[in-house]
Amino acid sequence: MIIDQKKIDEAIETVIGYGGEHIRNCVQCGACSAVCPGVKAGFPLLCRSLIRQLLNGQLEEIIEDSSSWACQSCSRCTEICPRGVRPQEVVFAFRRYQANQLAFSTSSITSQMNLFQTGHAVFVDPKEARKKVGLPEEPPTSAYDEAAQKEIQTLINNSPMGELGLF
Amino acid sequence: MAKVGVYVCHCGTNIAGVIDVEAVRDYASGLPDVVIARKDLFMCSDSGQEMIKKDIKDGLVDRVVVAACTPRTHEPIFRAACEKAGLNKYLFEMANIRDQNSWVHGHDHAGATAKALKIVASAVGKARNLEPLEEKFVPVTDAALVIGGGIGGISAALELARMGHKTYLVEKEPSIGGVMAQLDKTFPTNDCSACILTPKMVEVYNHPNIVALTYSEVDDVSGYIGNFNVKVRRKQAYVDWVKCTGCGDCASKCPAKVPDRFNAGLSERRAAYIMFPQAVPKKAVIDIDNCLNCAGREIGTEPKVNAKTGKPILAPCEKACPAQAIDRSIAHDPQGEIVEIQVGSIVVATGFQVMEKDWFKEMAPASPNVITALQLERIISATGPSEGKLTRPSDHEKPHVISFLSCMGSRDEHFHSYCSRVCCMYMIKQARLLKEKYPDLVINMHFIDVRSAGKGYDEYYTGARAMGINIFKGKVGGLEMLPGDKLRVLAYDMEGATPIEYESDLVVLATAIELPGDAVSLAQKLGLQFCGSNFFRELHPKLGPVETAVEGLFLAGCCQGPKDIPDTVSQAKGAAAAAAVPLSQGQVKIEPIISEVHPEQCSGCGICAPLCPYHAISLDDYGGHPRAKIEMSACKGCGVCASACPSAAIVLHGYEDTQIFAQIEALTA
Amino acid sequence: MEKIGLYLGCNIPLKAPDVEQSFRKVFPVLGIEPVDLPGATCCPAWGTAPSFDRDTWCAISARNITIAEGLGVDIMTGCNSCFGIMSEAKHFLHDKATTERVNARLAEIGRKYQGTSDIYHVMHVLHDKVGCEKIRENLKYSLDGLTIAVQTGCHTLWPSDVYSTCEANPFYPVMLKELCEATGAAAPHYSRLESCCGMGGMRSTDAEKSLVIFRDKLMSMQEEIKPDIIVTACSSCYMQFDMSQPILKERGLIDFEPIPTLYYTQLLALAMGFDSSQVAAISQIDRSAIIKEIQSEKRLMKEVA
Repeated sequence: MIIDQKKIDEAIETVIGYGGEHIRNCVQCGACSAVCPGVKAGFPLLCRSLIRQLLNGQLEEIIEDSSSWACQSCSRCTEICPRGVRPQEVVFAFRRYQANQLAFSTSSITSQMNLFQTGHAVFVDPKEARKKVGLPEEPPTSAYDEAAQKEIQTLINNSPMGELGLF
Repeated sequence: MAKVGVYVCHCGTNIAGVIDVEAVRDYASGLPDVVIARKDLFMCSDSGQEMIKKDIKDGLVDRVVVAACTPRTHEPIFRAACEKAGLNKYLFEMANIRDQNSWVHGHDHAGATAKALKIVASAVGKARNLEPLEEKFVPVTDAALVIGGGIGGISAALELARMGHKTYLVEKEPSIGGVMAQLDKTFPTNDCSACILTPKMVEVYNHPNIVALTYSEVDDVSGYIGNFNVKVRRKQAYVDWVKCTGCGDCASKCPAKVPDRFNAGLSERRAAYIMFPQAVPKKAVIDIDNCLNCAGREIGTEPKVNAKTGKPILAPCEKACPAQAIDRSIAHDPQGEIVEIQVGSIVVATGFQVMEKDWFKEMAPASPNVITALQLERIISATGPSEGKLTRPSDHEKPHVISFLSCMGSRDEHFHSYCSRVCCMYMIKQARLLKEKYPDLVINMHFIDVRSAGKGYDEYYTGARAMGINIFKGKVGGLEMLPGDKLRVLAYDMEGATPIEYESDLVVLATAIELPGDAVSLAQKLGLQFCGSNFFRELHPKLGPVETAVEGLFLAGCCQGPKDIPDTVSQAKGAAAAAAVPLSQGQVKIEPIISEVHPEQCSGCGICAPLCPYHAISLDDYGGHPRAKIEMSACKGCGVCASACPSAAIVLHGYEDTQIFAQIEALTA
Repeated sequence: MEKIGLYLGCNIPLKAPDVEQSFRKVFPVLGIEPVDLPGATCCPAWGTAPSFDRDTWCAISARNITIAEGLGVDIMTGCNSCFGIMSEAKHFLHDKATTERVNARLAEIGRKYQGTSDIYHVMHVLHDKVGCEKIRENLKYSLDGLTIAVQTGCHTLWPSDVYSTCEANPFYPVMLKELCEATGAAAPHYSRLESCCGMGGMRSTDAEKSLVIFRDKLMSMQEEIKPDIIVTACSSCYMQFDMSQPILKERGLIDFEPIPTLYYTQLLALAMGFDSSQVAAISQIDRSAIIKEIQSEKRLMKEVA
């Protein structure tokens, strides 16, 4: 690896811009990675190792890695980080960078479409199950509420998400 | 008309790198009464000082303004230069355009330069109105007070006593010795702590120049360098120490059990107790808050009488004492006794406390087998609860796997951002001692990084690796409680970039060093300030490491910041040398920047007297009327009285109204 | 009766309506009236807006909160993710500049975020507003003798600085444990109680890796306390335990039968005597035996008024 200050600055500023404000506080103590379920499950670029790569300016080099999407946002890292880095927010900032470069799995697109159309990221037809347990077939949510769906569509269309050409 | 000379300093690039020095010089040359404005790369250099001296000697200037750094470090230099050239040194004024300007406005050159112009104009405004002042001298009490009887206080007291100065050593516990007395062995040489400390304790206690007041606390301090009046409260021991022989019979008969702080809470002591076997003085005290008043023997009451024998029914402690040192019929004053002493200087060596494990919620504080390093120190000490045998608290069995966790509360912005400096080394010491004694023990140590800066320290650390102690780089993230009081350690191996999980029998937390809670009230009594890390603030971090902002008051040991035994002893000896200076000189200078009352203007309202933090003001008769009077030697020039006086009858020399108003005028122009 | 906005989220009303029904049955008896939040959308889930743009996340969360604000009620949710996401959004909205930007977006749909409704988890409402004593008073069956493995889930624990209600020690949570014990059952601690179940983004990114940490957690329960039931207050954990145990069993990765899993209010509804075909009707693991055990005659307590 070559140390390229321009790349380092660009990576850090990108992450800060997407909400990983405290990345520079990191001293690489590793406590976050000691308790991260994703690190334990074997995802290579989460918490400490992701932050190290970003501090090394390796933004484009790791853009295709899916580790960040395995973050459970349990925030145990944020709870124990002795430096106030809030690693979960750094992971999510990197995820936002990936998403805005459309570097994420196609399976994730379904959730975005569901959210846009029904207001529910997870959508299955609930009518039969609801009827079975004695509830009205339609829940009192946006699922069958056109006005509510229109509202969520307006919010998404007028956001950076709306500019990605997904909807 | 004053003739003001202004001298602007580049301070290398410290000032000139941000501020346009020539623009400041040029501006100053046009200010009222300024006759000369010059600049130099370093005004504090010989050539800079010569420049000032020459202008004074040539009769060009009679007021001097130096626009440079902080008066805290450099005012004495320039004042001395003025004095040498024959000018009263109080006709000098300093404009701080570095610490409060170029250093903090490095990003804004134009703004910093504009601010410098204001600061210089303000200093010139004051300088035009300065009056010459004269210094006075007062005699000194040739005695010193050392507060705190740990290794820092012991070292300082011995040093002062050896120089021939009478020294009072005040310790709040019944015995001197401090935390060092709780330690087993010391790094990096593995000397037995008690073996090297006990002779010092005995020497202090027996030294003809030292009066050791244990079980005592500083109650009140008044006065000033050379003449401090100190009230020391000797706490009520409820045992006659003249008679007590330290046999410990009272403790063995006392039924009241209390967690033993000397054993870091791992065992219990009695309400009647001797602090530890090597205690100096070896005297018993009764901890009255936990005393059960056996046989109805409330302090100060007559005993009941046995109807059959006609003999008084005594409490077990008094019955057990072969020296008749305990007599509960005496109406002991629970407040103890106040001893008043006069000293010329004071050394504060009040030490530290370690954080308790309960702060660290992710580290299973509820498990008995999670302990602090100080607790392990007691476990492996021969005088500890298991007489030096390694056992874990839950079942008193020997652990097979033991884990050391560094940086608990240190280098952590939730607690203390500083490094506690000693943890890496004492953990390695504990690990080495255990591995030597129990070679089959599995020892896993977890560090963010190992800090082993010190003579022989790194060799001590690498030696631990060679002994088969496992060292992991990476902070532990948590502990989980397993059946059988084991702990699962959630760790990380930085070099291998992999998480680690394993089961441990005993986990040792290296908790941070911090100032004890009662240090705050002592600081208030002494006028001590705190630094950003919440330790006592020294005068200057490099050049005044033992001095404080209060003249005659010095610091030693961990109350000034975390440090190990060698550093504590070094600093204590330094503090003793500094504290001896006024005692050896026999007199101290009284700063002329103090307040004075003009009795003809004073209305005698008395508002000023209770406001004075140094009790320097009293009401005195003046032509048949009560008028405020300031005791010159007690005044420290804080100016509270002058600003509060409704008749403007009090003047603070060096900060007179005309001078202050001239400054305000210049700043608001 | 105290009213509280019932925020349903996605999984509960669409996939686990028996959990929704258990809320509707249990709370009125305990003095809490759940009020519907009409038109509420997804919170939005971690994998959606929060993964693209923080302000969009805050705007969607804030929209949901405005529905409760309009009704003058606080919010209660049974999904940990919804609780975590909306609490974090509210935390970001403490920043005035963020609120201004978000309200500019909400203005386009005629809404305004005020910050007047607090966000609670079902567990918080039961533990702090209802209390274990009131739960005990309303039981029909005692669960004495049963052993429960408690699964609190992550998003009510960390980061504790964004939650209005949290555990005294988030690494040693006790709220759900105490609620379980209120039914008479034992809910002993096990070493991985606070650890993640592997559901969520991890499972959708790599189901195999998710199963690895799920198994670790499950084994800790089984080996240390051998539970009769797993009880959770997180709808994601609920689905993971119900879906993934049969997979492990089928692959021979566990040598015991999948442990029946209930959402806490399902357990409570059963113990209060409600009809299992309404409050505990949908699961992959067969729960009929444990339901029968819970509602067996021998467990009948004094008649509930």
